[in-house]
Amino acid sequence: MSIFTRQNSGRRYVVAAIIVAALQTAVLGYVIESRASILRSGADALLKTAPVDPRDFLRGDYVVLNYDISSVPVGSIVGGVPQDQGKKSLWVRLKPGEGGFSGIVESSFERLPEQPGTVVLHSRPFYSYGPNSADHIRVEYGIERYYVPEGQGTALEKARQGGDVSIAIRVGSDGTAQIRSLLVDGKPAYDEPLY
Amino acid sequence: MYRGRLERDLSVWVEKGLLPEATAGALLSEYDARPASFSLGKVLMILAAILLGAAILLVIASNWEAIPRLVRLAVILAAIWTVHLGAAAMLRRGAIAAASGLLVIGTLSFGGAISLVGQMYQLSGDELTVMYLWFAIAAVSAVLFRSGVVAAVAGFLSWGSFAAYLNTYDTRWVGLEPWIVPLMAAVVIGLVRFTGADRVRHLAYLLLVGWLAWLYAVNENFWLALGYAVGGMLAFVLVSLPLSRRSTLIRTAGSAPAFYTFLVAMIGLFLLHVELEHGWQFITLALVTLGAAVLAIALQGRDNGAVRYLAYTAFAVEMLYLASVTVGSILGTSSLFLFSGLFVAAVAWIVIRLERRFAMRNPEATR
Repeated sequence: MSIFTRQNSGRRYVVAAIIVAALQTAVLGYVIESRASILRSGADALLKTAPVDPRDFLRGDYVVLNYDISSVPVGSIVGGVPQDQGKKSLWVRLKPGEGGFSGIVESSFERLPEQPGTVVLHSRPFYSYGPNSADHIRVEYGIERYYVPEGQGTALEKARQGGDVSIAIRVGSDGTAQIRSLLVDGKPAYDEPLY
Repeated sequence: MYRGRLERDLSVWVEKGLLPEATAGALLSEYDARPASFSLGKVLMILAAILLGAAILLVIASNWEAIPRLVRLAVILAAIWTVHLGAAAMLRRGAIAAASGLLVIGTLSFGGAISLVGQMYQLSGDELTVMYLWFAIAAVSAVLFRSGVVAAVAGFLSWGSFAAYLNTYDTRWVGLEPWIVPLMAAVVIGLVRFTGADRVRHLAYLLLVGWLAWLYAVNENFWLALGYAVGGMLAFVLVSLPLSRRSTLIRTAGSAPAFYTFLVAMIGLFLLHVELEHGWQFITLALVTLGAAVLAIALQGRDNGAVRYLAYTAFAVEMLYLASVTVGSILGTSSLFLFSGLFVAAVAWIVIRLERRFAMRNPEATR
């Protein structure tokens, strides 16, 4: 393990330290700000869920969320499913319906234009099998986890048995969804500060 | 370890009067003075750094409400800055081991910080992007600090990225993204060359071998296996020819390229054995395998122990397999054992002859 060449002046290392630390800070800052800006100015939508409860070593406790809108009816897809298989993503138009919960109005493999009174979500990329697949396509929106304080995942799971758990989201102009709060019986269960 | 063998050889040479004792002592102390030589203290330092890094990750993962998340974010950012500036200070003082440890903590902390942000904003499904980012940051850090230890961290992160890819896409080939894996292997090899962390290159080669194995698993295909066998063997011959061995690029890469190219060729031949089980193709394949093993011993047998053992193993296994397929079906069980015993003895005799032959021929083959 020959590691460093020594002849360099110390200043070079200080510059290296500043660059690497600043780079890490910038990446973190970018992720945080891109999310906070969706929370600040995104369009609102309310989603119905059915959570389950696994564990994740690195990210503490979270509940896995599954939404009604996670399975997109093939019939709702404007322009149909593309012929070729591969990595694709769906744009899904939501409109508030019964009880304020948003449902799918239409969807497309192409970008959907904005329309007043509706919200367009962009799914995460998934593997599309082409048009001969089933009558629903399962997609994820990057809002499939809700982190809860250690040991409270099961408590939340119990709350779900008693009443409905729903998720309020905000959606950025590019269709990125961001969880705003988790609601049990229509009331926020946890504080969700911007930062 | 090499030092133990060196010491033994030196003492043998001193006993035989080939080397004055003072020279032997000087040679050993020169070896010990090299920065690359093994030091328990350095290894423990790196282990401590990995443990501390893991502790940071775990603090982030648990203790959810004990500390407000903005405070935790501030703490981890402060840690990132302190650790990197600390590493720079250590390097100025020449405390390389401590600096390496701090840099490892710094690189691992980024993983902790990004997963904390993931918790803050309930992010999901971005593991792959996170791994790529993490790898990129490790690579930048390894270059700027010229740190071999961080290059090793980058090597492991490249494996992590490949694992995350397989997990995300259910081991399927999707779009152009799988090409990132050989790209990362190339980056790691570049880091190895730049930082001088020679052993880390195995991480890159193993990643490539694993990637090729996955490629065959998604696309079980005769031509792909043939490609591995032919391509691996061609690459092996290319890096082994005396002419190309004089090129700096190949010489400085050490013995690893020859071994791994030969390994890929052997994997290809093994897969071909699975595809072809009968007839003249099988016999041809068996002969080609035996020939490849002999060629490998001829080209690299003396200088490269790993290639030598792999080639002997391939040769012996192929012979035994051939025998069991061709003769095994004619004989009963007890006579099969008798025959196998005789046959293994015969293979051993051939291998020993080969060894001796190449040992004798080698003096003239030396450059």
